[in-house]
Amino acid sequence: MQRMGLPLGRATDEALLSGLTTGDPEIAVAFVRRFQRIVFGVAIAVVGDPQLAEDIAQQTFERAWRHAQIYDSRRGSVKTWLTTIAHNLAIDAVRARRASPVAPEDLDALLDIVTDTPEQQALADETSARIRSAVAALPREQARALVMAGIYGMTAQQIAEFERIPLGTAKTRIRTATRKLRTTLGTEASRR
Amino acid sequence: MSAMTCDRLKELAPELALGVLPAQERARAVAHLDRCAGCREYVEQLTLVGDGLLGLLPGTEPPVGFETRVVDRLSRSRPAPPRRLRLRVAAAAAAVACAFGFGGWAVGTALDDAPAPLSAQDQGHPALLQAALVANGHEVGRIFAYPGSPGWVYMSVDLVGLEKGAGEKVHCRLERSDGTTVPVGSFTLKGGYGYWGAPAPVDAATVSGAQLLAADGSVLATAHFPPRDAPS
Repeated sequence: MQRMGLPLGRATDEALLSGLTTGDPEIAVAFVRRFQRIVFGVAIAVVGDPQLAEDIAQQTFERAWRHAQIYDSRRGSVKTWLTTIAHNLAIDAVRARRASPVAPEDLDALLDIVTDTPEQQALADETSARIRSAVAALPREQARALVMAGIYGMTAQQIAEFERIPLGTAKTRIRTATRKLRTTLGTEASRR
Repeated sequence: MSAMTCDRLKELAPELALGVLPAQERARAVAHLDRCAGCREYVEQLTLVGDGLLGLLPGTEPPVGFETRVVDRLSRSRPAPPRRLRLRVAAAAAAVACAFGFGGWAVGTALDDAPAPLSAQDQGHPALLQAALVANGHEVGRIFAYPGSPGWVYMSVDLVGLEKGAGEKVHCRLERSDGTTVPVGSFTLKGGYGYWGAPAPVDAATVSGAQLLAADGSVLATAHFPPRDAPS
Protein backbone atom coordinates (compact mmCIF):
# COMPACT_ATOMS: atom_id res chain seq x y z
CA MET A 1 0.00 0.00 0.00
CA GLN A 2 2.91 2.31 0.61
CA ARG A 3 3.82 1.71 -3.01
CA MET A 4 0.81 3.74 -4.05
CA GLY A 5 0.63 6.11 -1.11
CA LEU A 6 2.06 9.28 -2.53
CA PRO A 7 0.68 9.21 -6.07
CA LEU A 8 -2.82 8.24 -4.96
CA GLY A 9 -2.62 10.83 -2.23
CA ARG A 10 -2.35 13.46 -4.94
CA ALA A 11 -5.15 12.09 -7.12
CA THR A 12 -8.32 14.13 -7.41
CA ASP A 13 -11.36 13.10 -5.41
CA GLU A 14 -13.20 12.20 -8.59
CA ALA A 15 -10.38 10.01 -9.85
CA LEU A 16 -10.14 8.18 -6.54
CA LEU A 17 -13.87 7.56 -6.55
CA SER A 18 -13.76 6.21 -10.07
CA GLY A 19 -10.79 4.06 -9.19
CA LEU A 20 -12.74 2.64 -6.27
CA THR A 21 -14.87 0.72 -8.74
CA THR A 22 -11.88 -1.28 -9.90
CA GLY A 23 -11.73 -3.04 -6.55
CA ASP A 24 -8.08 -2.10 -6.07
CA PRO A 25 -7.52 -2.22 -2.29
CA GLU A 26 -4.85 0.49 -2.46
CA ILE A 27 -7.31 2.90 -4.00
CA ALA A 28 -9.90 1.92 -1.42
CA VAL A 29 -7.44 2.70 1.37
CA ALA A 30 -6.55 6.05 -0.17
CA PHE A 31 -10.22 6.92 -0.60
CA VAL A 32 -11.18 5.96 2.95
CA ARG A 33 -8.14 7.70 4.39
CA ARG A 34 -9.01 10.93 2.61
CA PHE A 35 -12.65 11.10 3.66
CA GLN A 36 -12.96 9.16 6.91
CA ARG A 37 -12.72 12.19 9.22
CA ILE A 38 -15.43 14.04 7.32
CA VAL A 39 -17.75 11.06 7.11
CA PHE A 40 -17.27 10.04 10.72
CA GLY A 41 -17.62 13.69 11.80
CA VAL A 42 -21.07 13.94 10.22
CA ALA A 43 -22.17 10.63 11.67
CA ILE A 44 -21.02 11.35 15.21
CA ALA A 45 -22.49 14.85 15.15
CA VAL A 46 -25.92 13.50 14.30
CA VAL A 47 -26.09 10.27 16.30
CA GLY A 48 -23.74 11.07 19.18
CA ASP A 49 -22.87 7.40 19.70
CA PRO A 50 -19.36 6.37 18.56
CA GLN A 51 -20.31 2.76 17.89
CA LEU A 52 -23.35 3.69 15.85
CA ALA A 53 -21.40 6.45 14.12
CA GLU A 54 -18.73 3.97 13.05
CA ASP A 55 -21.35 1.65 11.64
CA ILE A 56 -22.90 4.54 9.71
CA ALA A 57 -19.51 5.65 8.43
CA GLN A 58 -18.76 2.12 7.25
CA GLN A 59 -22.11 1.92 5.51
CA THR A 60 -21.38 5.26 3.88
CA PHE A 61 -18.20 4.00 2.26
CA GLU A 62 -19.90 0.78 1.24
CA ARG A 63 -22.71 2.71 -0.38
CA ALA A 64 -20.25 5.01 -2.12
CA TRP A 65 -18.42 1.99 -3.45
CA ARG A 66 -21.64 0.43 -4.71
CA HIS A 67 -22.92 3.62 -6.30
CA ALA A 68 -19.75 5.29 -7.50
CA GLN A 69 -20.95 4.89 -11.05
CA ILE A 70 -23.93 7.19 -10.53
CA TYR A 71 -21.93 9.98 -8.92
CA ASP A 72 -22.33 13.11 -11.03
CA SER A 73 -19.69 15.78 -10.55
CA ARG A 74 -22.02 18.45 -11.90
CA ARG A 75 -24.23 18.07 -8.84
CA GLY A 76 -21.54 18.62 -6.27
CA SER A 77 -18.19 17.51 -5.00
CA VAL A 78 -17.34 13.99 -3.90
CA LYS A 79 -17.06 15.35 -0.36
CA THR A 80 -20.59 16.76 -0.50
CA TRP A 81 -21.89 13.54 -2.00
CA LEU A 82 -20.34 11.44 0.77
CA THR A 83 -21.51 13.87 3.42
CA THR A 84 -25.06 13.61 2.14
CA ILE A 85 -24.94 9.81 2.17
CA ALA A 86 -23.60 9.79 5.74
CA HIS A 87 -26.18 12.33 6.82
CA ASN A 88 -29.10 10.41 5.34
CA LEU A 89 -27.95 7.19 6.98
CA ALA A 90 -27.47 8.95 10.30
CA ILE A 91 -30.92 10.54 10.18
CA ASP A 92 -32.46 7.17 9.36
CA ALA A 93 -30.65 5.63 12.34
CA VAL A 94 -31.80 8.40 14.66
CA ARG A 95 -35.38 8.13 13.51
CA ALA A 96 -35.31 4.38 13.97
CA ARG A 97 -33.74 4.39 17.43
CA ARG A 98 -34.63 7.51 19.30
CA ALA A 99 -37.96 9.17 20.07
CA SER A 100 -36.21 12.46 20.72
CA PRO A 101 -33.74 13.33 17.95
CA VAL A 102 -31.62 15.67 20.03
CA ALA A 103 -30.89 16.60 23.60
CA PRO A 104 -30.94 20.35 24.39
CA GLU A 105 -27.30 20.35 25.49
CA ASP A 106 -26.26 18.59 22.29
CA LEU A 107 -28.09 21.17 20.21
CA ASP A 108 -26.43 24.12 21.93
CA ALA A 109 -23.01 22.48 21.70
CA LEU A 110 -23.41 21.83 17.98
CA LEU A 111 -24.75 25.31 17.36
CA ASP A 112 -21.66 26.73 19.03
CA ILE A 113 -19.45 24.58 16.82
CA VAL A 114 -21.08 25.61 13.54
CA THR A 115 -21.18 29.29 14.45
CA ASP A 116 -17.72 29.47 15.95
CA THR A 117 -15.29 31.14 13.61
CA PRO A 118 -11.71 30.30 14.47
CA GLU A 119 -9.31 31.91 12.08
CA GLN A 120 -7.90 28.71 10.69
CA GLN A 121 -11.33 27.50 9.64
CA ALA A 122 -12.08 30.78 7.91
CA LEU A 123 -8.82 30.57 6.02
CA ALA A 124 -9.35 26.95 5.11
CA ASP A 125 -12.58 27.34 3.18
CA GLU A 126 -14.09 30.65 2.14
CA THR A 127 -17.51 29.22 1.35
CA SER A 128 -17.75 27.49 4.70
CA ALA A 129 -16.60 30.67 6.42
CA ARG A 130 -19.37 32.66 4.76
CA ILE A 131 -22.02 30.13 5.66
CA ARG A 132 -20.68 29.95 9.19
CA SER A 133 -20.87 33.73 9.50
CA ALA A 134 -24.38 33.72 8.06
CA VAL A 135 -25.53 31.13 10.60
CA ALA A 136 -23.87 33.10 13.38
CA ALA A 137 -25.69 36.23 12.25
CA LEU A 138 -29.10 34.58 12.45
CA PRO A 139 -31.29 35.21 15.48
CA ARG A 140 -30.58 32.37 17.89
CA GLU A 141 -34.04 30.83 17.53
CA GLN A 142 -33.72 30.73 13.74
CA ALA A 143 -30.25 29.21 13.93
CA ARG A 144 -31.55 26.55 16.32
CA ALA A 145 -34.41 25.71 13.96
CA LEU A 146 -32.03 25.51 11.03
CA VAL A 147 -29.63 23.19 12.84
CA MET A 148 -32.45 21.02 14.14
CA ALA A 149 -33.88 20.59 10.65
CA GLY A 150 -30.71 20.66 8.53
CA ILE A 151 -28.44 18.58 10.72
CA TYR A 152 -30.64 16.57 13.07
CA GLY A 153 -33.36 16.03 10.47
CA MET A 154 -36.17 17.17 12.75
CA THR A 155 -39.49 18.00 11.15
CA ALA A 156 -41.21 21.31 11.79
CA GLN A 157 -43.63 19.46 14.07
CA GLN A 158 -40.77 18.04 16.14
CA ILE A 159 -39.12 21.44 16.34
CA ALA A 160 -42.40 23.00 17.46
CA GLU A 161 -42.71 20.43 20.26
CA PHE A 162 -39.05 20.73 21.22
CA GLU A 163 -39.16 24.53 21.36
CA ARG A 164 -42.75 24.65 22.64
CA ILE A 165 -43.85 26.99 19.90
CA PRO A 166 -46.71 26.84 17.37
CA LEU A 167 -46.10 24.73 14.26
CA GLY A 168 -46.44 27.80 12.06
CA THR A 169 -43.70 29.55 13.99
CA ALA A 170 -41.37 26.58 13.58
CA LYS A 171 -42.02 26.53 9.84
CA THR A 172 -41.40 30.26 9.61
CA ARG A 173 -38.09 29.96 11.44
CA ILE A 174 -36.89 27.18 9.14
CA ARG A 175 -38.03 29.08 6.07
CA THR A 176 -36.53 32.41 7.07
CA ALA A 177 -33.19 30.96 8.11
CA THR A 178 -32.87 28.85 4.96
CA ARG A 179 -33.69 31.75 2.69
CA LYS A 180 -31.16 33.98 4.43
CA LEU A 181 -28.43 31.41 3.87
CA ARG A 182 -29.49 30.96 0.28
CA THR A 183 -29.10 34.71 -0.17
CA THR A 184 -25.60 34.47 1.26
CA LEU A 185 -24.69 31.69 -1.14
CA GLY A 186 -26.30 33.53 -4.05
CA THR A 187 -24.36 36.67 -3.26
CA GLU A 188 -21.15 34.72 -3.17
CA ALA A 189 -21.92 32.99 -6.47
CA SER A 190 -22.65 36.27 -8.19
CA ARG A 191 -19.31 37.67 -7.02
CA ARG A 192 -17.39 34.89 -8.75
CA MET B 1 -56.78 18.29 -1.36
CA SER B 2 -55.79 21.51 -3.14
CA ALA B 3 -53.39 21.49 -6.06
CA MET B 4 -49.80 22.37 -5.39
CA THR B 5 -49.06 25.84 -6.73
CA CYS B 6 -45.70 27.50 -7.20
CA ASP B 7 -46.44 29.83 -4.27
CA ARG B 8 -47.27 26.90 -2.02
CA LEU B 9 -44.22 25.01 -3.22
CA LYS B 10 -41.98 27.94 -2.38
CA GLU B 11 -43.39 27.94 1.14
CA LEU B 12 -42.55 24.27 1.55
CA ALA B 13 -39.27 24.38 -0.37
CA PRO B 14 -36.96 24.93 2.65
CA GLU B 15 -38.32 21.88 4.45
CA LEU B 16 -38.22 19.91 1.22
CA ALA B 17 -34.62 20.91 0.54
CA LEU B 18 -33.55 20.03 4.08
CA GLY B 19 -35.28 16.66 3.81
CA VAL B 20 -37.74 17.17 6.66
CA LEU B 21 -41.00 17.66 4.81
CA PRO B 22 -43.58 15.06 5.91
CA ALA B 23 -44.16 12.30 3.38
CA GLN B 24 -47.56 13.31 2.02
CA GLU B 25 -46.59 16.93 1.34
CA ARG B 26 -43.26 15.76 0.02
CA ALA B 27 -44.95 13.54 -2.54
CA ARG B 28 -47.13 16.39 -3.76
CA ALA B 29 -44.17 18.75 -3.87
CA VAL B 30 -42.05 16.31 -5.85
CA ALA B 31 -44.89 15.78 -8.30
CA HIS B 32 -45.01 19.53 -8.81
CA LEU B 33 -41.26 19.68 -9.35
CA ASP B 34 -41.56 17.10 -12.09
CA ARG B 35 -43.44 19.60 -14.21
CA CYS B 36 -42.04 22.94 -12.99
CA ALA B 37 -38.47 23.79 -13.91
CA GLY B 38 -38.55 27.10 -12.04
CA CYS B 39 -39.45 25.52 -8.72
CA ARG B 40 -36.95 22.76 -9.33
CA GLU B 41 -34.21 25.33 -9.72
CA TYR B 42 -35.37 27.09 -6.56
CA VAL B 43 -35.27 23.90 -4.51
CA GLU B 44 -31.86 23.00 -5.90
CA GLN B 45 -30.52 26.33 -4.68
CA LEU B 46 -31.94 25.71 -1.24
CA THR B 47 -30.41 22.26 -1.23
CA LEU B 48 -27.03 23.98 -1.37
CA VAL B 49 -27.86 25.53 1.98
CA GLY B 50 -28.29 22.10 3.52
CA ASP B 51 -25.06 20.91 1.93
CA GLY B 52 -23.25 23.98 3.21
CA LEU B 53 -24.59 23.44 6.69
CA LEU B 54 -23.29 19.87 6.75
CA GLY B 55 -19.97 21.22 5.52
CA LEU B 56 -19.64 23.14 8.79
CA LEU B 57 -19.54 19.99 10.86
CA PRO B 58 -16.02 19.35 12.08
CA GLY B 59 -14.13 16.30 10.97
CA THR B 60 -13.61 13.72 13.68
CA GLU B 61 -11.00 11.01 13.80
CA PRO B 62 -12.74 7.62 13.74
CA PRO B 63 -11.73 4.83 16.12
CA VAL B 64 -8.42 3.07 15.59
CA GLY B 65 -8.64 0.40 12.91
CA PHE B 66 -11.59 2.00 11.14
CA GLU B 67 -9.78 2.24 7.81
CA THR B 68 -8.84 -1.44 7.84
CA ARG B 69 -12.34 -2.51 8.82
CA VAL B 70 -13.90 -0.53 6.00
CA VAL B 71 -11.54 -1.88 3.37
CA ASP B 72 -12.08 -5.43 4.65
CA ARG B 73 -15.81 -4.90 4.41
CA LEU B 74 -15.50 -3.63 0.86
CA SER B 75 -13.32 -6.50 -0.21
CA ARG B 76 -15.76 -9.02 1.27
CA SER B 77 -18.55 -7.43 -0.73
CA ARG B 78 -16.63 -7.59 -3.97
CA PRO B 79 -17.49 -10.34 -6.42
CA ALA B 80 -14.73 -12.88 -6.85
CA PRO B 81 -12.60 -12.25 -9.92
CA PRO B 82 -12.93 -14.70 -12.79
CA ARG B 83 -10.16 -17.24 -12.38
CA ARG B 84 -10.53 -19.28 -15.52
CA LEU B 85 -10.00 -16.47 -17.97
CA ARG B 86 -6.34 -16.03 -18.57
CA LEU B 87 -6.33 -13.97 -21.71
CA ARG B 88 -5.80 -10.35 -21.01
CA VAL B 89 -8.60 -9.17 -23.26
CA ALA B 90 -11.11 -11.61 -21.81
CA ALA B 91 -10.11 -10.72 -18.28
CA ALA B 92 -10.38 -7.07 -19.06
CA ALA B 93 -13.84 -7.51 -20.51
CA ALA B 94 -14.97 -9.40 -17.43
CA ALA B 95 -13.58 -6.71 -15.21
CA VAL B 96 -15.53 -4.15 -17.16
CA ALA B 97 -18.71 -6.09 -16.61
CA CYS B 98 -18.05 -6.43 -12.89
CA ALA B 99 -16.47 -3.16 -12.06
CA PHE B 100 -17.93 -0.63 -14.43
CA GLY B 101 -21.62 -0.49 -14.73
CA PHE B 102 -21.66 3.10 -15.75
CA GLY B 103 -25.38 3.53 -16.22
CA GLY B 104 -27.20 6.64 -17.20
CA TRP B 105 -24.74 8.57 -19.20
CA ALA B 106 -22.60 5.73 -19.14
CA VAL B 107 -21.02 4.21 -21.36
CA GLY B 108 -19.67 1.27 -20.44
CA THR B 109 -19.11 -1.36 -22.95
CA ALA B 110 -15.63 -0.55 -23.24
CA LEU B 111 -14.07 -3.15 -25.33
CA ASP B 112 -15.75 -3.24 -28.68
CA ASP B 113 -12.31 -2.36 -29.90
CA ALA B 114 -10.17 -4.96 -28.23
CA PRO B 115 -7.37 -3.19 -26.43
CA ALA B 116 -3.94 -4.05 -27.63
CA PRO B 117 -1.24 -4.22 -24.99
CA LEU B 118 0.88 -1.11 -24.95
CA SER B 119 4.00 -2.83 -23.75
CA ALA B 120 5.18 -4.47 -20.58
CA GLN B 121 3.76 -2.56 -17.66
CA ASP B 122 6.16 -0.66 -15.56
CA GLN B 123 5.15 -1.64 -12.07
CA GLY B 124 7.74 0.67 -10.66
CA HIS B 125 5.91 3.82 -11.77
CA PRO B 126 2.30 3.45 -10.75
CA ALA B 127 1.56 7.15 -10.31
CA LEU B 128 -1.93 8.04 -11.45
CA LEU B 129 -1.69 10.11 -14.62
CA GLN B 130 -4.18 12.78 -15.40
CA ALA B 131 -4.61 15.49 -18.00
CA ALA B 132 -7.19 17.86 -19.41
CA LEU B 133 -9.04 16.87 -22.57
CA VAL B 134 -8.86 19.86 -24.84
CA ALA B 135 -10.92 20.75 -27.92
CA ASN B 136 -10.51 23.97 -29.86
CA GLY B 137 -8.34 25.35 -27.08
CA HIS B 138 -10.94 24.71 -24.39
CA GLU B 139 -10.95 22.12 -21.65
CA VAL B 140 -13.82 19.70 -22.30
CA GLY B 141 -13.03 17.05 -19.74
CA ARG B 142 -10.34 15.14 -17.91
CA ILE B 143 -8.73 11.78 -18.36
CA PHE B 144 -7.12 9.63 -15.70
CA ALA B 145 -4.87 6.71 -16.52
CA TYR B 146 -3.67 4.32 -13.86
CA PRO B 147 -0.60 2.30 -14.70
CA GLY B 148 -0.96 -0.19 -11.85
CA SER B 149 -2.20 -3.74 -12.01
CA PRO B 150 -4.89 -3.82 -13.13
CA GLY B 151 -4.49 -0.61 -15.05
CA TRP B 152 -7.48 1.47 -16.00
CA VAL B 153 -8.58 4.58 -17.81
CA TYR B 154 -11.35 6.92 -16.75
CA MET B 155 -12.58 10.10 -18.31
CA SER B 156 -15.37 12.62 -18.09
CA VAL B 157 -16.30 14.55 -21.20
CA ASP B 158 -18.56 17.53 -21.74
CA LEU B 159 -18.91 18.46 -25.40
CA VAL B 160 -22.16 20.36 -24.92
CA GLY B 161 -22.21 23.21 -27.39
CA LEU B 162 -19.89 21.57 -29.85
CA GLU B 163 -21.55 20.48 -33.05
CA LYS B 164 -19.54 17.35 -33.43
CA GLY B 165 -19.63 14.41 -31.09
CA ALA B 166 -22.49 15.67 -28.95
CA GLY B 167 -24.66 12.59 -29.34
CA GLU B 168 -22.62 9.90 -30.86
CA LYS B 169 -20.37 7.03 -30.10
CA VAL B 170 -16.86 8.19 -29.42
CA HIS B 171 -13.63 6.27 -29.24
CA CYS B 172 -10.70 6.68 -26.93
CA ARG B 173 -7.16 5.80 -27.69
CA LEU B 174 -3.93 6.30 -25.84
CA GLU B 175 -0.92 7.83 -27.49
CA ARG B 176 2.61 6.65 -26.92
CA SER B 177 5.70 8.78 -27.03
CA ASP B 178 6.83 7.08 -30.26
CA GLY B 179 3.72 8.40 -32.01
CA THR B 180 1.79 5.15 -32.13
CA THR B 181 -1.67 4.83 -30.66
CA VAL B 182 -3.64 2.09 -28.93
CA PRO B 183 -7.47 1.90 -28.81
CA VAL B 184 -8.82 1.38 -25.31
CA GLY B 185 -12.57 1.56 -25.81
CA SER B 186 -15.69 3.33 -26.99
CA PHE B 187 -18.68 4.93 -25.37
CA THR B 188 -21.69 7.02 -26.24
CA LEU B 189 -22.25 10.59 -25.15
CA LYS B 190 -25.71 11.65 -24.07
CA GLY B 191 -26.39 15.26 -24.89
CA GLY B 192 -22.70 15.80 -25.26
CA TYR B 193 -21.90 14.59 -21.78
CA GLY B 194 -20.61 11.31 -20.49
CA TYR B 195 -18.10 9.56 -18.33
CA TRP B 196 -16.54 6.22 -18.82
CA GLY B 197 -13.94 3.93 -17.49
CA ALA B 198 -12.44 0.61 -18.38
CA PRO B 199 -9.54 -1.62 -17.53
CA ALA B 200 -6.65 -0.85 -19.83
CA PRO B 201 -2.98 -1.65 -19.86
CA VAL B 202 -1.24 1.66 -19.23
CA ASP B 203 2.50 1.82 -19.53
CA ALA B 204 3.69 4.81 -17.56
CA ALA B 205 7.02 4.76 -19.35
CA THR B 206 5.60 5.25 -22.82
CA VAL B 207 2.11 6.69 -22.62
CA SER B 208 2.13 10.36 -23.54
CA GLY B 209 -1.46 11.35 -24.10
CA ALA B 210 -4.89 10.40 -25.36
CA GLN B 211 -7.29 11.17 -28.14
CA LEU B 212 -11.05 11.18 -28.25
CA LEU B 213 -12.32 10.37 -31.73
CA ALA B 214 -15.68 10.82 -33.41
CA ALA B 215 -17.34 7.94 -35.20
CA ASP B 216 -15.84 9.10 -38.50
CA GLY B 217 -12.35 9.00 -37.03
CA SER B 218 -11.86 12.73 -36.67
CA VAL B 219 -10.23 13.93 -33.47
CA LEU B 220 -12.68 15.56 -31.05
CA ALA B 221 -10.28 16.25 -28.20
CA THR B 222 -6.75 15.51 -27.12
CA ALA B 223 -4.92 15.19 -23.85
CA HIS B 224 -1.23 15.32 -23.04
CA PHE B 225 0.03 13.81 -19.83
CA PRO B 226 2.67 15.88 -18.09
CA PRO B 227 6.22 14.71 -18.77
CA ARG B 228 7.66 12.48 -16.09
CA ASP B 229 11.16 12.01 -14.91
CA ALA B 230 12.94 9.33 -16.85
CA PRO B 231 13.41 6.15 -14.85
CA SER B 232 16.86 5.78 -13.52
